[in-house]
Amino acid sequence: MTAGAKKRKEAPRLLMGNEAIARGALEAGIQIASGYPGTPSSEIIENLSRSAAERNIYVEWSTNEKVATEVAAAASFAGLRALCVMKQNGVNVASDFLLHLAHSGTRGGMVLVSCDDPGALSSVNEGDSRPFARILEVPLLEPGDFQEAKDMTKWAFELSEEIRNFVFLRSVTRMSHASGSVIIGDLPAETRRPAFRHKGSLLDPDNGPVISLFPGIPELKHGPQQEKLRRAADIFEKSPFNTYQGPEKPELLIVTSSACSLYSREAVHLLGLKDRVGILKMGTTWPLPPELVKRHLAGTDRILFVEEVMPFLEENVKILAAEAATDLGIKYFYGKKSGHIPSVGELNPDLVLSALRKILNLPSEKDPSDFLKKAESIAASAAPHRELTFCPGCPHRASYWSIHNAIELDGREGFVCGDIGCYTLGFLPCGFGTLKTIHSMGSGTGIAGGFGQIRRFAMNQPILAVCGDSTFFHAAIPALINAVHHRSPITVIVLDNRGTAMTGFQPHPGLAVSAMGEQAVDIDMAEICRALGARVEIRDPFDLEETQRTLNLMMEEAGGAQVLILRQACGLSPEKKGKKLFEVKVDESVCVGENCGCNRLCTRIFRCPGLLWDGQKKTARIDEVICAGCGVCAGICPSGAITKREAQA
Amino acid sequence: MTADPYNIIITGVGGQGNVLASRVLGNMLVRQGYEVTIGETFGATQRGGSVMSHLRIAKEGVWSPQIPRSRAHMIVSLEPAEAVRVLKDYGNEDVRILSNTRPVYPVSVIAGDVVYPPVEEIRSGVQALVPGARFIDATEEALKMGNPILSNIIMLGALSGFTPLPIRRSDFKAVISRFTPGDALDMNLRAFDKGRELMKKGKSKSVKRKQKSHGGKI
Amino acid sequence: MRVFGPKELQTDIIEKGLCSGCGGCVDICPYFRSHRGKTAMLFPCTLEKGSCYAFCPKAEVDLDELSMRFFGRTFDGSPLGHHLSIQISRAGGRVSSPNFQAGGTVSALMAFALMKGIVEAAVLTDREKLLPLPRLVKDPSEVLRCASSKYSAAPTLSAFNRAVREGIDRIGVVATPCQALALAQLRSNPLQKADFKDPAALVVGLFCTWSLDFRAFKDYLAGKMDPSIIRKVDIPPPPAEIMEIYDDQGKREIPLAEVRQLVLPSCSFCLDMTAEFSDLSVGVLEGRPDLNTLIIRTERGMEIVSQARKEGFLFTEDLPEENLKHLAWAAANKKKRALVKIKAEGLFNTGDGRRAVLRFSDEAAGAILAGEDGK
Ligand SMILES: Cc1cc2nc3c(=O)[nH]c(=O)nc-3n(C[C@H](O)[C@H](O)[C@H](O)COP(=O)(O)OP(=O)(O)OC[C@H]3O[C@@H](n4cnc5c(N)ncnc54)[C@H](O)[C@@H]3O)c2cc1C
Ligand code: SF4
Ligand code: SF4
Repeated sequence: MTAGAKKRKEAPRLLMGNEAIARGALEAGIQIASGYPGTPSSEIIENLSRSAAERNIYVEWSTNEKVATEVAAAASFAGLRALCVMKQNGVNVASDFLLHLAHSGTRGGMVLVSCDDPGALSSVNEGDSRPFARILEVPLLEPGDFQEAKDMTKWAFELSEEIRNFVFLRSVTRMSHASGSVIIGDLPAETRRPAFRHKGSLLDPDNGPVISLFPGIPELKHGPQQEKLRRAADIFEKSPFNTYQGPEKPELLIVTSSACSLYSREAVHLLGLKDRVGILKMGTTWPLPPELVKRHLAGTDRILFVEEVMPFLEENVKILAAEAATDLGIKYFYGKKSGHIPSVGELNPDLVLSALRKILNLPSEKDPSDFLKKAESIAASAAPHRELTFCPGCPHRASYWSIHNAIELDGREGFVCGDIGCYTLGFLPCGFGTLKTIHSMGSGTGIAGGFGQIRRFAMNQPILAVCGDSTFFHAAIPALINAVHHRSPITVIVLDNRGTAMTGFQPHPGLAVSAMGEQAVDIDMAEICRALGARVEIRDPFDLEETQRTLNLMMEEAGGAQVLILRQACGLSPEKKGKKLFEVKVDESVCVGENCGCNRLCTRIFRCPGLLWDGQKKTARIDEVICAGCGVCAGICPSGAITKREAQA
Repeated sequence: MTADPYNIIITGVGGQGNVLASRVLGNMLVRQGYEVTIGETFGATQRGGSVMSHLRIAKEGVWSPQIPRSRAHMIVSLEPAEAVRVLKDYGNEDVRILSNTRPVYPVSVIAGDVVYPPVEEIRSGVQALVPGARFIDATEEALKMGNPILSNIIMLGALSGFTPLPIRRSDFKAVISRFTPGDALDMNLRAFDKGRELMKKGKSKSVKRKQKSHGGKI
Repeated sequence: MRVFGPKELQTDIIEKGLCSGCGGCVDICPYFRSHRGKTAMLFPCTLEKGSCYAFCPKAEVDLDELSMRFFGRTFDGSPLGHHLSIQISRAGGRVSSPNFQAGGTVSALMAFALMKGIVEAAVLTDREKLLPLPRLVKDPSEVLRCASSKYSAAPTLSAFNRAVREGIDRIGVVATPCQALALAQLRSNPLQKADFKDPAALVVGLFCTWSLDFRAFKDYLAGKMDPSIIRKVDIPPPPAEIMEIYDDQGKREIPLAEVRQLVLPSCSFCLDMTAEFSDLSVGVLEGRPDLNTLIIRTERGMEIVSQARKEGFLFTEDLPEENLKHLAWAAANKKKRALVKIKAEGLFNTGDGRRAVLRFSDEAAGAILAGEDGK
């Protein structure tokens, strides 16, 4: 197997990919870790923050990913090892700084972990962060199993120090959120003493200032940077993270990386092809070690690329093959470009199986068995689709209820621009279809600001935006400043649920606690907005009438940018989870049900999962297992059939 | 163990404690010397979506965190409709099924757009296909114990009497105390035992409570 | 009467600008609400027949059926509708207020009805700044607070619906013609509920040629003055052609031609100038802004008027022939204008299952179209 697995003295542990990455960083002796929460990356920083006290390291949830990379880079400049973690979309945010950092180079080992989400299982898109390594011209590593996730992370720091630039490590959901056995190694006993040496000459990489570019003389920084990349390629030629399994001269060579290597192995195993098909699993995917790749290309005519999202390996290998075409001759390539591997969505063993069948002309899959056909027919009626919804007791449902109603009452076709967080679901029925634009963090506010400006051309629609509390600090502030400054008549609604709820309740700058559980300065977003000159209102979204009334007034009076903070903790927040504030009941004798006068407002429209429709009695009722006891539904029932009573502690 | 790897799917709905159940089970089996790979989808866990964990229990090696189609050996479902959903993708003639009886209604059912059939109908459909399929009232029992969230542990306890895998109480105790705060240990152990007891007594042969159909206009 | 559901109400009436904002569909259920003079449907409702549609005075109104129900005969299209007598009136010595729009007849009658227990509560129209606000009043003294006309559309009937839901079963109401028409439909139990009982104990209708779109009116005034300090709005009789607005600084005059631009489009579909489906209808007496014209339509109305007069709440005298002729001429003109419009839009007595705004006999329609025209 892989590098670290050799010493079998300790029993393997079952670790999540993210735990393995965190462990690798600890074994490498990091002293600083920073990041911004995002599925599937969040557990890395969470794990490190739990070890922070014991290992004497500093861990923070930064305001956003760009700041996180800056924080980690500072530690590196002072000679410490630093880890920086984000999900794929975060790399976009950090990319501006990263491009500079790649030029200036680093000192202490610095590793940037991006956890991608092929298939967008819990993301707004399935962006592939690997091409960033090419754009940034830094080395890219991709672990193929859990042991590697740990070992590779640890080694990445050594590589970073060797070439004096940061190293990009890319995981995916099926690695980060999957678990497997890992044999752990020792933790270093010593810590480094930081010092930022800056008195040397401008070009002294160890003691000079850390500067990313010399205007007009790119050779001075860009040249050495490319040299670093060449060194990395050399090192990669012998890396144990690149493995090959299969016959010497395979009929078909699979080139793969990451979780896709596990799918490939399983597919080859299931088809019994291990003597015909070879698997070149690459752990160092940028720059590709040219000699190693060419050696493997020389042994076969047919190559299949098994990878997710972008044809990254595919394109890079093809370039190498073209460069070596005179030696290697003609090759047949299969992958995304040929259509054998889907170009969107995540892969799985079955998709690799069918690619292999097609390429090798194996008998095609049998029709689904009788069994599966029968199961399918039962499922058609017994397994109704589960559409995503807000949790029972979620403040967003209440907020969107009032926002929706305010817009409808206003009657001028107002709309809400949204962004990323649980509240993204506001475009679905659970949010009453309220969101009309959804893009990146903070962009709801920015887009609304733009809409606000075009009102001057006789557009009468009221313009609103929503952003979460964490998102507010992450990226909405510059957009809000822009809107206030240019008098854009918009209403920005901050859905303040007291934490970064979507990713598991990480703290943010609005809260008085840090990632390590230490006291932090809680920054008052209302005061920030007021200081900008925006009108600010704060309401409890559970007070539906008052929220709607306030919003209508704000929409009517919008002269410039204004802010409505809807503050109510997430139903899963530590202080609320598992505790019912109210005992909620439906009085069946009062419920109007399907009749004119209600027509099932609570179950048909409000749709909190805590409510049920009793098709026999024709009344609503509460599902006591699901209801979180927020009591909001009592306020929407037109007949007063839903009653709430304060729950006994 | 009859197959290597032995493939278990634990399925349910966000908020039911599916992820905890699969981690606990995985760690228990690691203590028995197996090499375990778990794949999870939990982005939408709390948001009403289906949640599945794939466990590959092997003598050796890391396996794909996604089980290939129709190759599950055991399906443990914390919710009856989810058992059916998994069955259609991962089932086969030899699969075994252990399912909770308590539905978690999708919002589209609550809203009345879609009908959720009576649980008895789901159960008979599944049993027609998988004769040994077992349904137990884990949530009802958990409610009796004071907290519906314990149903995942009751299901684990029941699984111990339903599979050739060595699922030991002592392993459970060792693992669960790592995963949950100290004062919950006793409660969890009682839930585990309750599951074993339900399985032994075959108490759950019939769904006692009359199940109603919800949602859908009549 | 053909009854459809909320979907049809939304598409036929609200989306087409036929809604007069009367509030007939508001506060029956959670779906229709009124905000700043406009009725909005918050969420889709799937019922095929709804009170909302049944009550709407612009959706499938069958005047013959209503006329039969309330006056025992079909609708004949006569200018002033069914009535027993027409008089001049004003509030008697027992009531007075500087807020009376004209003679204070309306307020006096309602206060009297409340005091005597003829009605338990009265549905009136107050205002907050410029915005008309429905109000459910139980104390006679509060009636005077609601005196004076608010010239923009008010969802007055939402307060009636609320009163019904509160279980009040003798309700008095002051209603413009469209409101009175919605009320008439409500009172004829269109969904045929088994336990139905007419909750309206006294309906006082107001004369009305048009009302304004509140939002447009407010925006219009905002360019000229501070609408929040307005005390009274009046329209002096022709040939003045102005609207008078009184505020702290005194009186302002606004050309009626400009104000007419702000009239609700739905008013041009309204045949009724004198609120025919009421017990009593009240307007201004031509040339005498301190007096009212009072049309007595029902026995119940007649009874209340005579009692109120006896007890000093009301003063009445005979209406001169000249005034009556002019009133009938104006009412006939409104009928004709509106019917021409409704027919032109293809919304009168439609066939083939298409939904109509209005239905009544072709004879009556013929009489209206043959009636008064211009001067
Ligand atoms: C929109 C509108 C248009 C009118 N057009 C004419 C007309 O063309 N010719 C004519 O002769 N008379 C018209 N009137 C009636 C007239 O203005 C007086 O209301 C009527 O003469 C009664 O006078 P009063 O002194 O008895 O009323 P008051 O004693 O002052 O009482 C007025 C009553 O009107 C009610 N009211 C006020 N505004 C509204 C409203 N928007 N909707 C429903 N009820 C309301 C109040 O509840 C109050 O009870 C109109 C009234 C309105 C509201
Ligand atoms: S909203 Fe109230 S009246 Fe309507 S169905 Fe629900 S409980 Fe019954
Ligand atoms: S109280 Fe009502 S809205 Fe709140 S969680 Fe329970 S069912 Fe849902």
